[in-house]
Amino acid sequence: MQPKGVEILLVEDNANDAELTLRALKQRNLANQVFLCHDGAEAMEFFADGASPVPKVVLLDLKLPKVDGLEVLRRLKNDNRTKTIPIVVLTSSREEPDIERAYALGANSYIVKPVDFDAFARAVSDVGLYWLLLNHPPQ
Amino acid sequence: MMRSIQRTFPLFVTALLLAVAIVQLTIGYGEVRQASRSVTDTRLRFVDSVLVDLFQSGQQRGRVTALAKDSDVVAFLRSGGQRGREQALAALRRITLDTASNARLELRDFSGRLLLSTGRFAFGDSVLVSPGTDSARFGPLQRRDTVLFFGVAAATIGTERSASGERSGGIVQQVARLQLNERTRRFLTGLSGGDMAFLFGNAAGDPWTDFASIVSAPPANVRNSPRPTRYERGEAQRAIAMAVPGTPWMVATEVPTRLIVAPAQAYLLTMAPFAALIVIIGTLAAWWGSRRLTAPLVGVTQAAEAIATGDLTQRVPVGRDDELGKLARSFNTMAEQVSRSHHHLEAQVAQRTKALEGTNAELESFSYSVSHDLRAPLRAIHGFARILLEDHHAQLDPEAQRLLGVIDQNTRRMGQLIDDLLAFSRLGRTDLATGPVDMKELTQLVADEVQRTEAGRNGSLEIRIDPLPAARGDRGLLRQVMSNLLLNAAKFTRDRPSAKIEVGSQADGGQTVYYVKDNGAGFDARYADKLFGVFQRLHSTEQFDGTGVGLAIVKRIVQRHGGRVWAEGAVNQGATFYFTLPGEER
Repeated sequence: MQPKGVEILLVEDNANDAELTLRALKQRNLANQVFLCHDGAEAMEFFADGASPVPKVVLLDLKLPKVDGLEVLRRLKNDNRTKTIPIVVLTSSREEPDIERAYALGANSYIVKPVDFDAFARAVSDVGLYWLLLNHPPQ
Repeated sequence: MMRSIQRTFPLFVTALLLAVAIVQLTIGYGEVRQASRSVTDTRLRFVDSVLVDLFQSGQQRGRVTALAKDSDVVAFLRSGGQRGREQALAALRRITLDTASNARLELRDFSGRLLLSTGRFAFGDSVLVSPGTDSARFGPLQRRDTVLFFGVAAATIGTERSASGERSGGIVQQVARLQLNERTRRFLTGLSGGDMAFLFGNAAGDPWTDFASIVSAPPANVRNSPRPTRYERGEAQRAIAMAVPGTPWMVATEVPTRLIVAPAQAYLLTMAPFAALIVIIGTLAAWWGSRRLTAPLVGVTQAAEAIATGDLTQRVPVGRDDELGKLARSFNTMAEQVSRSHHHLEAQVAQRTKALEGTNAELESFSYSVSHDLRAPLRAIHGFARILLEDHHAQLDPEAQRLLGVIDQNTRRMGQLIDDLLAFSRLGRTDLATGPVDMKELTQLVADEVQRTEAGRNGSLEIRIDPLPAARGDRGLLRQVMSNLLLNAAKFTRDRPSAKIEVGSQADGGQTVYYVKDNGAGFDARYADKLFGVFQRLHSTEQFDGTGVGLAIVKRIVQRHGGRVWAEGAVNQGATFYFTLPGEER
């Protein structure tokens, strides 16, 4: 399925987290053009053929089956076609090494998913608002 | 400076040799001087006695005695000088021929009137000495200007008395001059070997002579003592005086003490270079010997030092077959064993380290899982419970809504527990960024924060901060310590109308004890040791919220800084939390 006009690419293996994320985005009316990948491999496929629309932001979980989030991040940031896409790491890990490696690989933001749903919803919707509406990527 | 056998042994030997040399020279000097003195004394006495003999047996006495018994002289004197003048003169002349220039023979009556005389030497016109009747007597030495002379006299006594009651007879007297000249003195001195001086004079005092000139009499203590006596005549002298029996005279011999100690000084001059030579040779031998002895020890010491600093390959050359060789061999064996057990230990440490690294990695992946995998389902529970509440509010009765609220509360709490636990476990793994920390400034920052978070409380909250010495540690972690303690204190004083928190310090050896004191709920001192355990709480969650990790974190941070934590308190009487930190070195 090749979506048109993808604004947010959500890479998330946990269906519950994905649902909660989508719900949070929906509440701010940001969920219309979200494309969901369930693992790193899928995410890489999304960008593989070059024909896919370029998302305005990628929300990337770190702990993913097949290809993990940091690997996805590394590949996207090393590819000239995709390196300008803002990538927001959205993960449960608040381990310092993960944060350092993510930023070293070129992550644009690192958000720890709170357990508290209200905080989580606020974080996700703030991220969506910022990257979709406020941020001006290079043309 | 280190004490070294190599240095102290030769020093000791040198000191010993020096002491022996000094004692030997001192005793030798004393003995030589003593011997020299005793020889001198013997000589002085001997010479004295020779002189005494000489003076005692003077010819004059015999002559005068004989003359007083000569028949012609007796006849002349008994006649009161009236008869037999020629015969008497002839008798006198027979005797005075040889001493004519230095002596004079006189015949006088008992009143002293001169009847007849021969010889040219004349002094005075009197009887110089009370005459002896059986034999002649010597008179004391007399002096006139530079001339010394003495008299020797004998009496001739008649059997009948004159009409006036006077006895008949008279006196035979010789007046003799003592010849003084350098030759005599030198001759006498030469007899004794040239170092002695001979003196002659009256036992009672002046005049005295050394046979060349008139000298002052030796002092009374010399004249009155039979023992050698020391006195000054130009220089220090050792003298013995001896009376000439039967005369008023005395002889004395003396030697400059300088000449007595001369042999002892000569002994010193001869022996001192030998002693010095022996000391030098001894020192060199001791130095060489101690080097020979300690050189192998130096080798062992150096090897031991090298081993102590970690170079386990060091060995000592074994070149000898004595005790030192044995020491070197034992040392090498020991070094071998140390090296072997060291390698064994290293291998063990490497093995353990590997195992530990494995465990650590497991632990890390465990916390990662906790962090990631436990939070995700928790978030789902919380999220979906909230969705249920938000989206299906209408279908839920109040009890269902309350139950969902309980789920909500507990998932939040679980999330907090996980976060705290992870923070606590992270503390053990991160490295300390140590540096100087201004504790006063840091505490003020934390206190301001606490005041902000506690802005909504009912009572007043006063945080007093005493001047605090600087500490050495990780600023971020110490801030967490102070933050946890102040928040804790703020929490447990929340029900007090006027809460007081006091932060202070006291010195304790090289460390500083910081404390945070409050007037809050306190705790039962029996459970003080449980305060710092993970998830240990002394109050129910209803009373005071919290996960029970804060104080465990405080303890772990302080312990990682090498300090201690403890607490004092009583129920409803406040609590004081203490922790120590190494001071900031200046």
